[in-house]
Amino acid sequence: MKLLSGRISKTAILLFSCLLLLLVPVSYAKDYDQVFSDANEAMGNGDLPAAITILKKVQFEKGDDGGAFVRSRMQIARLQFALKDMPAASATAREVLAVYPDNSEALNFIASVKQEQKPRYVVFIEDCLRFLPQLLKGAVMTIALVVCIILISPLGGLLIALGRISAFKPVSGLCWFFIWLFRGTPLLLQLFFIYYGLPSLGITFKPFTAAILGLGLNYSAYLGEIIRGGIQSIEHGQMEAAKAIGMTYWQAMRRVIIPQTYKRLMPPIGNEFIALIKDTALVSTIAMVELMRSADQMFNAYFNVTALILAALIYLLFTTIFTFIFEKIEIRAGIYENR
Amino acid sequence: MKTANQPLLSLKGITKRFGALTAVNGVDLDVCPGEIVVIIGPSGSGKSTLLRSVNFLEEIDEGTILFEGDEIGYVRNKQGRRHLDAPAKICALRSEIGMVFQHFNLFPHMTVLGNVMEGPLTVQKKSTAAAREIALDMLAKVGLSEKRDVFPATLSGGQKQRVAIARALAMRPKLMLFDEPTSALDPELIGEVFDTIRSLGREGMTMIIVTHQMGFAKEMADRVIFMENGSFVAQGTPEDFFANQMEHDRIKSFLNRIL
Ligand SMILES: Nc1ncnc2c1ncn2[C@@H]1O[C@H](COP(=O)(O)OP(=O)(O)OP(=O)(O)O)[C@@H](O)[C@H]1O
Ligand SMILES: [Mg+2]
Repeated sequence: MKLLSGRISKTAILLFSCLLLLLVPVSYAKDYDQVFSDANEAMGNGDLPAAITILKKVQFEKGDDGGAFVRSRMQIARLQFALKDMPAASATAREVLAVYPDNSEALNFIASVKQEQKPRYVVFIEDCLRFLPQLLKGAVMTIALVVCIILISPLGGLLIALGRISAFKPVSGLCWFFIWLFRGTPLLLQLFFIYYGLPSLGITFKPFTAAILGLGLNYSAYLGEIIRGGIQSIEHGQMEAAKAIGMTYWQAMRRVIIPQTYKRLMPPIGNEFIALIKDTALVSTIAMVELMRSADQMFNAYFNVTALILAALIYLLFTTIFTFIFEKIEIRAGIYENR
Repeated sequence: MKTANQPLLSLKGITKRFGALTAVNGVDLDVCPGEIVVIIGPSGSGKSTLLRSVNFLEEIDEGTILFEGDEIGYVRNKQGRRHLDAPAKICALRSEIGMVFQHFNLFPHMTVLGNVMEGPLTVQKKSTAAAREIALDMLAKVGLSEKRDVFPATLSGGQKQRVAIARALAMRPKLMLFDEPTSALDPELIGEVFDTIRSLGREGMTMIIVTHQMGFAKEMADRVIFMENGSFVAQGTPEDFFANQMEHDRIKSFLNRIL
């Protein structure tokens, strides 16, 4: 859009600047205010080359304090920068340095031109190196959460599954209620309730404890239903055969039924754990500094999207590794079926 | 209560209902040590339910079960209502009575040897070495020693059923129940399973066998029982049964159908 309108009004601006050239010498060297306001007008019209031409009329003169000169040259340089003419931009900034070698504005400008002239991948790698230490710290916390939940939730899930299929009504009712509650409300709400809500009832948790509690309860509820499905998918004859050789219900569960569910449970549980990796991002809302929170902090501090891209890559790395591990486990768990 | 000639198993008035349906209706049966009883009868007549009741896989509504002269499996609560005995007691009783199912029900995640070891190991809490020794003996008995390290999925139906028999035998049961052990097998595989059962009979094992194989019933049974609608309709020695009881119209039509 900008370029297009620039082209269209090019002739008009050219005529306009010719007129200015006729006018300017009158007030030459005394007052550049008119030049700067003309240049502003040209910029306002989107015609950056015209603005540059106008600003170039400001000349350095001995005795002058040079303020107008520095101001015009830095503005030209920025315009050239905006027009992606990097060699011209740094050349203009050097004009300033030729007169005032210590001018910090010009020095900084040349540095940022150099930065801009680097290939994009170099800039990306530099950003990555800048953000990585913080993000990795966050990633370590994410992994710590994931590992804790992977250790806790299958046990919790197994207890809930066994409770659900229990013939003892109060136990199965309680487990049904637990699943109903934790599957029926958002995980985010559960985390908020534990971290921000329970203190008003006099129960206070550290962020990490609250995160483990919230994720642990939620994932136990989900795994509970998955494991129950797995147990009930085992053919009824297996339990009868186990009982027929004298096993108790619990011996049959432990030795015969549950081991047969491993292969069937591996794909759905693997899915849950991949969802878990991503769900840990939710605990960033209860004062936990993990990968998502670190990425958010970096993004806000530098307004640099590389922080988010990098975090996405780390999440992808984790989920990919998990997928791979679960495929391997699944194959091993089902070895008896295809030998 | 033990006398010289008492039955090993004695069923008195066994009744089992499923809602309005009476699957087993007042069955009496005495089985002497070493006796081989074959039960035949049409589908739905209650044969499986009767066998499962003996092994407490079904809780009976009426009747008593005596094993070696002792009433087993049921106790009365304070209100006088009868219910199944404590799980530990039931498990102990089951380990004295082996059962073989139509569909084998081998544990697919254990090797053949693992299947046969499982009872001695988990139920009898024997050492691995002792359980292994028993299991190898039983596998030799059913002629499958060389298959000990494979998983059940690779076995033929006949081999699976022989492993299932070995698994039951590993508990050293005093009575074996067979519920249509060959019904899920291809005809050419039936022989090997009956050979195994036959050799058990020669060793003096007491057995109750539900089967549709009349040839086997004629050859092996000490007694043949015809069951229908939950009751025993006729019984006798094979000679008597196939010669005289054939007069029963129902038995005749049943036998005509399956032979
Ligand atoms: N768990 C159950 N619930 C309800 N009804 C049942 C159940 N088990 C068996 N029955 C019914 O009880 C009756 C007897 O069944 P049972 O399996 O003992 O017959 P069967 O003589 O073994 O027949 P088959 O030759 O087909 O195996 C049938 O009508 C059956 O539908
Ligand atoms: Mg049956």
